[in-house]
Amino acid sequence: MKALGRTILPYLIAIAVAFAAVGIFIAAMGFDVGRAYQTILLTSFRTPNGFIQTLLKFIPLTLQALAFTVPLTAGKFNIGGEGQMIVGGIAAAAVGITFSDLPPVLLLPMVILAGVLAGAFWGLIPAWLLYRFGLNEILTTVLLNFVSFAVIDLVATGPWRDTTAGHPTTIPIGQGGWLPMLINNPPLHSGIILAVLVAAGIYIYTSRTTGGYELVATGANPRAAEVFGIHVGRMFVFSLVLAGALAGLAGSIEVAGVHRRLIEGMQSNFLVLGLIIGLIARGNNLAVPFVAFFIAVLEVGASAMQRTLMIPVEMVFIVEALVLLFVLLSDVVRRR
Amino acid sequence: METLITFLRLVLLSMVPFVLASQGTMLGGRTGIFNVAQEGIMLLGASLGFLVSYQVGNNFVGMLAAMAAGAVFGLLLAYFTTTLKMNQFFIGLSLFFIGVGLSTLLPKLIIGITLSPPLIPTLPEVSIPLLSQIPLLGPILFRQNGLVYFSIVLSLLLWYFLYRTQRGLELRAVGENPMTADSLGINVVRARYWTAILGGALIGLAGAYLPMVYTGTFTEAMTRGRGWLAIALTFFGGWSPLTILTGSLFFAGVEVLAFRAQVIGLALPYQYLLMVPYLATILIMILTFRKARVPAFLGQNYDREKRNL
Repeated sequence: MKALGRTILPYLIAIAVAFAAVGIFIAAMGFDVGRAYQTILLTSFRTPNGFIQTLLKFIPLTLQALAFTVPLTAGKFNIGGEGQMIVGGIAAAAVGITFSDLPPVLLLPMVILAGVLAGAFWGLIPAWLLYRFGLNEILTTVLLNFVSFAVIDLVATGPWRDTTAGHPTTIPIGQGGWLPMLINNPPLHSGIILAVLVAAGIYIYTSRTTGGYELVATGANPRAAEVFGIHVGRMFVFSLVLAGALAGLAGSIEVAGVHRRLIEGMQSNFLVLGLIIGLIARGNNLAVPFVAFFIAVLEVGASAMQRTLMIPVEMVFIVEALVLLFVLLSDVVRRR
Repeated sequence: METLITFLRLVLLSMVPFVLASQGTMLGGRTGIFNVAQEGIMLLGASLGFLVSYQVGNNFVGMLAAMAAGAVFGLLLAYFTTTLKMNQFFIGLSLFFIGVGLSTLLPKLIIGITLSPPLIPTLPEVSIPLLSQIPLLGPILFRQNGLVYFSIVLSLLLWYFLYRTQRGLELRAVGENPMTADSLGINVVRARYWTAILGGALIGLAGAYLPMVYTGTFTEAMTRGRGWLAIALTFFGGWSPLTILTGSLFFAGVEVLAFRAQVIGLALPYQYLLMVPYLATILIMILTFRKARVPAFLGQNYDREKRNL
C-alpha cells in the first residue's frame, strides 16, 4: 500500500502542478478557471452520455498508447501509430464494403482482422528497414504517417466515395461488419471489450511470459540480451509489427464500431495523445489503460469546455503535455 | 528554358526551411544533443512568427520572435538533458507536443476565429545589383528573398567554424567523446547549451519561413512533416554543414516537383504526388545508410561523475 502511494504521489503532484500552471494562464486570459476545471473533470461523470463518450475515446487511446509502449519495452520508438491506424481503417472499410453481403459471423471477424493485418504490415515496413538497413525507426515510422494521409485521401475520394457527404468519406460497410452494441442509447459498441482484453493480454505477455521477458531484456540491455542468445534484431521487428497490429486494430474498431464507414481524419489526434499516455505511464503496460482513461476524461471535458465556455481545447492539450513533463521531472527529484 | 529557370528558382526558395532546421539539428547533434522536437518548434515558429508579424506589422520582428521561441525550447532541451540528465527522446517528444499545442492555441487566443484568414505580406525579393543581371544564374540565384542568402551564408560559416577553427574542433570533440573533451579542459556543458539554444532558434526561424514566404498566414500542421524530414536530411548530410546544404537542394527539388506538379499538369492523381517527398526520403536513407556518419555521442547525456561511458 505504501509502495503504491509512493508511485501515485508523483503523478498527483504532477497533475496538480500542471493544472495550477495552466489555471493561472486561463485566469489571465479572463476566463473562469473554476468552471473550466469543473467542466474538464466532471463532464465524463455527470451524464451517461458523457461517460460513454469517455469510454469511446478510451478504446483508441489505449490501443495507440500500447502501440507506442510495446516497442518501447524493446527500446524502440514507434511514432507511426497514426499511419498504422489509418491503414487499418482503410483495410477494414475495404473488406466491409467489398463483402458487404456476408453474414456477421464471417464479415465481422474479416473486417477486424483486415485492420489488424494492414496495421501490422504498415509496422513491418519500418521494422524491415531497421533490420535490413539500420534505418532509424523514429524517422521511418513518422514518414509513413504522411504517406498514409495521401492513401486515405485516395480511398475516401475514390470509387467508394459517398458523394452525399461533404467531407471525404466512403459509403457504409455491410451491416454484417458492424460491431454489436452493448448499450443502444447512448451507443456503446463491443469494441471496448476487445480493447480491454487486448490490454490485459499485452500486460500478461510482457510481464508473465518468456517471449515477453525477452522483449524486456532486449530493451534493458540489447548487448547483454544478444550475449544470452536473444535475437535482438528479430525482437525489434516483432515489437514494431505487434505495435502496428494494435494501432491497426484501433483503426478497424473505429470503422466497425463508431463510424461504420471510412472517414478522412477519423484518426483524430489519437497518436499524439497515445504517445503522451505511453510516456506518462513510463512505458508500463499495466498503467497504460488507467492513464488512457484519465486522458479520455480530460479530452471529453475539453470538448465540453470549448462548447460551453469558449475556451480552446488546446488548453487541455497543454495541461496533458505539462503533466507528462512533470511526471518525467519527478524521476529527477526522486534521484536526488 | 523558362520552366527550368522557374523550377530552379523555386528549388532554392523551398530549400530554406530544410537548411535552417537541419543546420539547427546538426549543431545540437554535434555536441550530442539529439533534438526530435523540430516539427513542434517549427510549428510554433510559424504560428508565433505569423502572429507577431501580423500584430506588429513587421516580418523581421516576427522572425525574431520565432527565433526566441525556438531558443527557449532549445534551452529547455539543454537544461532537461544536460543538467538534469533526462532521456533526450522523452524530453524532445514532450517539447514537440507543447510546440504543436501552442501553435494552434495562440492564434485562437490572439486572433480568434475569422471568416477569411488574416494575411501578412510575404518576404520581398531582394535583387543583388549586377549579379542579378547575369543570364540564367541571375534570376535563379540572385533574385531571392533575404533568407535564401542567409541560409547559404550560414551554411558556409558553420562549415568554416566547425572545420577550420579551434573552437569548432573542440565542439566536434564534445559530440564524439565528451570525456576526452572534458579532460582537455573543454566546457562540455556550455557547448551543449549554446548549440542547443542556437539550433532551436534556427529551427524556429525555419518555421517562420512558411507563413512569411508560402502562404502569408498560419494554418494548422502547415509544416507537413518538414521538421521530421529535416532530421532525415541531417542524417543524410552526415551532420556536416555543406552536405546538408546540397542535400537540402534534393529535398526541396522533390518538394517542388511533388507539390507543384499539378501546375505543370501531370495526369497522376495528386495524392500520389503527396507521398513522393516522404517515400523519396526513405529511399535516399536506404541508399546512403552505409555512408551515414553520426556523432558518436549522439542522443546520450554526459555525466562526468560516471566512470566509463
